[in-house]
Amino acid sequence: MQILINSENGIYQKNIWQPSADIYRIEQGWLVKLDLAGVRSEDIHLSVRGQHLIIQGLRRDWIVETGQQYYSMEIAYNRFKRVIELPTHLEHARITTEYRDGMLLIWLKTAPKGGL
Amino acid sequence: MEHSTYPTLPLKNTVLFPHLVLPLSVGRSKSIAAVETALASEDKLIAVFPQHNPRTEEPTADDLFRFGTVGVIKKMARSGDTVQILVQGIERVEQLETVQAEPYLSLKVTTLPEPSDTGTEIEALHRTVIELAGRMIELVQPQVQVSIHHIISDVEKPLHQIYLLTSVLSLDFDKEKELLAAATQAEALHLMYRYLNHEVQVLEVRQKITSTAQTEIDKKQREYVLRQQLEAIQEELGEKSPEQAEISELRRRMEETELPELVRKEVEKELTRLERMPSAAPDYQLTRGYVELALELPWNKTTEDRLDLKRAREILDEDHFDLEDVKERIIEHLAVMKLNPEAKSPILCFVGPPGVGKTSVGQSIARALGRKFERMSLGGLHDEAELRGHRRTYIGAMPGRIIRAIRRAGYKNPLLMLDEIDKLGRDFRGDPAAALLEVLDPAQNVEFHDNYLDLPFDLSKVFFVTTANTLDTIPRPLLDRMEVLRLPGYSDEEKQQIARRYLIGRQIGEAGLSEIQLSIPDETLRYVIRRYTREAGVRELERVLGRIARKVATQVAEGQTQPMTVKPKKLVELLGPERFFAEEVRQQLPPGVAAGLAWTEAGGDVLYVEAALLPEGKGLTLTGQLGNIMQESAKAAQSYLWSHAEELRIDQKSIRESGVHIHVPAGAIPKDGPSAGVTMATALTSAYAHWPVRNDTAMTGEITLSGLVLPVGGIKEKVLAAHRAGIRRIILPKENEKDLREIPEHVRQSLQFILAERIEEVLTAAIPELNRLHSRGAA
Repeated sequence: MQILINSENGIYQKNIWQPSADIYRIEQGWLVKLDLAGVRSEDIHLSVRGQHLIIQGLRRDWIVETGQQYYSMEIAYNRFKRVIELPTHLEHARITTEYRDGMLLIWLKTAPKGGL
Repeated sequence: MEHSTYPTLPLKNTVLFPHLVLPLSVGRSKSIAAVETALASEDKLIAVFPQHNPRTEEPTADDLFRFGTVGVIKKMARSGDTVQILVQGIERVEQLETVQAEPYLSLKVTTLPEPSDTGTEIEALHRTVIELAGRMIELVQPQVQVSIHHIISDVEKPLHQIYLLTSVLSLDFDKEKELLAAATQAEALHLMYRYLNHEVQVLEVRQKITSTAQTEIDKKQREYVLRQQLEAIQEELGEKSPEQAEISELRRRMEETELPELVRKEVEKELTRLERMPSAAPDYQLTRGYVELALELPWNKTTEDRLDLKRAREILDEDHFDLEDVKERIIEHLAVMKLNPEAKSPILCFVGPPGVGKTSVGQSIARALGRKFERMSLGGLHDEAELRGHRRTYIGAMPGRIIRAIRRAGYKNPLLMLDEIDKLGRDFRGDPAAALLEVLDPAQNVEFHDNYLDLPFDLSKVFFVTTANTLDTIPRPLLDRMEVLRLPGYSDEEKQQIARRYLIGRQIGEAGLSEIQLSIPDETLRYVIRRYTREAGVRELERVLGRIARKVATQVAEGQTQPMTVKPKKLVELLGPERFFAEEVRQQLPPGVAAGLAWTEAGGDVLYVEAALLPEGKGLTLTGQLGNIMQESAKAAQSYLWSHAEELRIDQKSIRESGVHIHVPAGAIPKDGPSAGVTMATALTSAYAHWPVRNDTAMTGEITLSGLVLPVGGIKEKVLAAHRAGIRRIILPKENEKDLREIPEHVRQSLQFILAERIEEVLTAAIPELNRLHSRGAA
């Protein structure tokens, strides 16, 4: 038997891969940075449920041409999903996103301006 | 239901389950094409189906299992002609139809919904399966401490746990396919439960076997270690195990004993073997016994001979009455030994009836010479190995009797008495006589080979004396090696002397009496010899005297204080009625009966030969257990008479018209030998002529058809027997005249001997009527 157990969380869901994430505490709330290189912005879907921030989507392999041959392949394609739990309720947070250099930046502003 | 088409990858001997990741090495060109097609797609999906027969190189849809898994290729790398991929299963599919077969297989499949059935049964099964899986992992890899619960704790759905378990447990290919085909959670759990149960049982039995074997090995190792420790402790304490002490004792003895080089080497070798051997080994006792024997045997130990002829003569005279010839021969031998110490010992063979003192003469010789006396009886010995020993390879092997006797003697030059050599047996177990030949042959016995000892032993210094009752049954080659000394029976007077000198004193002493308390006068002694014993020797006489002594001892013990003199009339009271009648002579002999003399192993005897005519009968009838030689004697006697009937004045008509019956009484005793010839002729003549034979006359001698009387053996025994029986005239062959010298003077004086050369002389001496006729005829 050569089956390996994938230790990544959520492997038993239908989602094939999970993007890596960095999480920062900022003055007004939280900043979540996801490594989502090669994912089209229209293929990314963001949602919030309680304390959970849910990012899911699809990475398509778009350099696919007839006659080319794969020599090696390490980047994960197909569907992904990442659920990030934070210590505050996110339902009323103000969410802004920016897609920069293959990274998805998500600001979650939970506190009123100037306060913490 | 959702239908899709995927490039298809056939799998040999393995199954991809949903949610699990499987590394695969893809080598077949069609499979590589399928993988490349999948990689060229945006979502990298591929259908993976197990193939039925792993040997099929280009499987079609029919060669594939109905159920498969759609997976995504997560990683890939090319190495040489093969492509390594990492595929993660997504969902179960069932093949519908082949979309294309070239350049790769492409199948249209339908996605199967993930089962989500629930219930108590599923819950129970699920728990049992987890437990069993835990037990199985424990059995397979006891060293792995991580529990199965921990591994699968993240996984909530039973079905997913089962898929995960397949990667942990080594299930076989068919079972994996069945699991993949399971449409519900319940079905998958049932299957898993069955596999696990079976596996656990097999593993438990295997573990039991392994642990039994392990226990066995552990026990042996433990014993070994303990033994080593014990040895170390004993060494530390200066103690040794009994076996070791025994071996060192043997080694010490070996060093102290003077042994021939060959023997030392052999003993050394066996001792070394013994040291290496555990004491429980079957060979241990055998080897130890062997070493002990080799050390105990007197390889170089001899006693010094005392060659003082005067003293020797005194000892022999002291121990034995008469037997002058024998004593003389022994003295001669001592003289030779004195003058030439290297002279070969003769092998003496004492022949004579029982109880005449053969064995005790041997003892006296040993005493006179100052040698150890050892005795062994050969009577009834059948097995050659008894003499020569068994090879050490046999269980219960031991040295032969010769070597054992030498060991008992403790010296290599004892006087070894081989009793009853005439009673040696012989059968399938070998011929002991042949072994004895080697023992007795001075040329061979320097290196006597005992099978057990397996080393040559020098028997040439042994003084061999053998005894026999008769020479007839001694194998010829053996007899040739021996010097025969005859010990004939004793006459009544000799017995009286022997009793007086040796027996009475000994028996009185044995009974705890003194000579004053019991005296036996000559008259009583004669009475005892004649009426209570009949033998050539004195064994029975000694026994009877012993009985008298014991009876008297009883009376003394009961309070009798007066010294006792045993009178003849007292004998009936002490010994019971007389057992033999002294006067065996028949008072009246009817015609046809003649007294003959026979030699028996017990001495001599008077035998009456009876002949009767059977009117109108025919031929010759012989009864009384007669052997061939006696029957021939009877026929010769009859023929002689027929041919000389006229001279003997026998009526020829009675010869022609009647048969003859010759009987020798005491029919239970087999009789054979030529010496009854004259007696038969006399009895027949007496019967034909109707004249009686003299009742005071007995005879012995062989006859020929022409009437010659030939000499016979055993004259002394026969004459003594006749004398005992009260016969006064004895007819002997002329040529036996020389044997009369052996007969004690007093016996000779009381008898009349007629020495005959021809049968006519016998007849005229025995039958008075015939004598009268002859003298008349001559006149």
